[in-house]
Amino acid sequence: MTRLMVLMLGLTLCRGTRAAEPVQNPPPTPAQWAALAKLPDWSGVWTPFISDQFRRMTADPVPWKPEIAKQISALEAEEKAGRPKGLFVDCLPEGMPAWMLISHNAVEFLFTPGRVTMLGEMDGNRLRRIYTDGRPHPPDPDPTFHGHSIGRWDGQTLVVDTVAVLPQAYLAVSEAVGVPNNGDLHVVERIHLAEKDVLHDELEITAPRVLSKPWKTTRIWFRQRARKYDIVEGVCLQGFFAPRTDASGNAVFVPILHANGNPVPNAPEEPRQ
Amino acid sequence: MSRPSLLVLGTALAALLLIGPAANAHHSFAMFDFDKVVTITGTVKEFQWTNPHVILWVDVPGKDPAKPDRWWLEMTSPGNLTRGGWNRKALNAGDQVEVELNPLRDGKLGGALIKVTNRTTGQVFSTNLRDMEKPGLK
Repeated sequence: MTRLMVLMLGLTLCRGTRAAEPVQNPPPTPAQWAALAKLPDWSGVWTPFISDQFRRMTADPVPWKPEIAKQISALEAEEKAGRPKGLFVDCLPEGMPAWMLISHNAVEFLFTPGRVTMLGEMDGNRLRRIYTDGRPHPPDPDPTFHGHSIGRWDGQTLVVDTVAVLPQAYLAVSEAVGVPNNGDLHVVERIHLAEKDVLHDELEITAPRVLSKPWKTTRIWFRQRARKYDIVEGVCLQGFFAPRTDASGNAVFVPILHANGNPVPNAPEEPRQ
Repeated sequence: MSRPSLLVLGTALAALLLIGPAANAHHSFAMFDFDKVVTITGTVKEFQWTNPHVILWVDVPGKDPAKPDRWWLEMTSPGNLTRGGWNRKALNAGDQVEVELNPLRDGKLGGALIKVTNRTTGQVFSTNLRDMEKPGLK
């Protein structure tokens, strides 16, 4: 009897150990690398259709909840009066879905087995990892600026599902008009080539804390192949500093004085140390 | 962490806090009056080719020759300007420039740069992101 119990305990432990085995990301196979060639060609650099972003502020009205609509009206009035509230002046990432909605900067897409990676030009941290290896969302992921994204190919369209976005991440329609999503944000995107060199991202944004119903809108990018359009590094925080030489002759960055969202005119002479 | 390094960290944090939360990052351009165009002529004090917005400081002679008016002009990012034909050596301290700008609404000496003519090199630079709203640009 005791022996049997020990045996059963042993088997249970074994099973337990096997169940706790961490999930592995297997190395991609040659077939998986080859399969990438069958995906649509999204190479090149994509520049945003900024005029269309602004057009859609009225063309695709956001179904704000009434109490949120009041905040939005106040922000719109301030911007109209030339006193825009800076939603992104702290250099934190725009995050999801604001990056897709309002960016003025270029983006590129990298396809690797099981992954689509979006790299934006501004901010070292502006990137999205979209897992296309069939995994589900984790049961309780840590919220992040860009959330957790899983994708699947529906023909030539990448369908992306994003959850676990920080509640502080803005649902913004411009750099001066938007509110934090406040939690429970869910974004579904259908990204596809509308023309040979025109990419559409059809977004359906569910944000029950700020929207009365899901909001559907589209954002558009244009493909550039001229090499001068290649993405370059863009570190937002660099704007807080000016390049100077210190007393030892070292090249250093020193903080520069800002007021009301902009550098003070004499800042080059009088950096705030 | 040793006391000196804590001090250094504290000083660095204090410096950052003093700058305030509103740096010139990803902001709306609504503080500029796009219905007005002002032209200034002066000398480049500094051309700061950094993200997120390139900044040009220009000294314009005022009433007191010893104290020129210092204007700051804002542009888009280095990446976007490069696409518009700019480069980090487009303007250099001491260059004579003529600048067309949309001024700040509050009357302070600043604006959004429309076009700059570098009279020292003869080069002209301007950029408008709206001009990039089509595919296959050269």
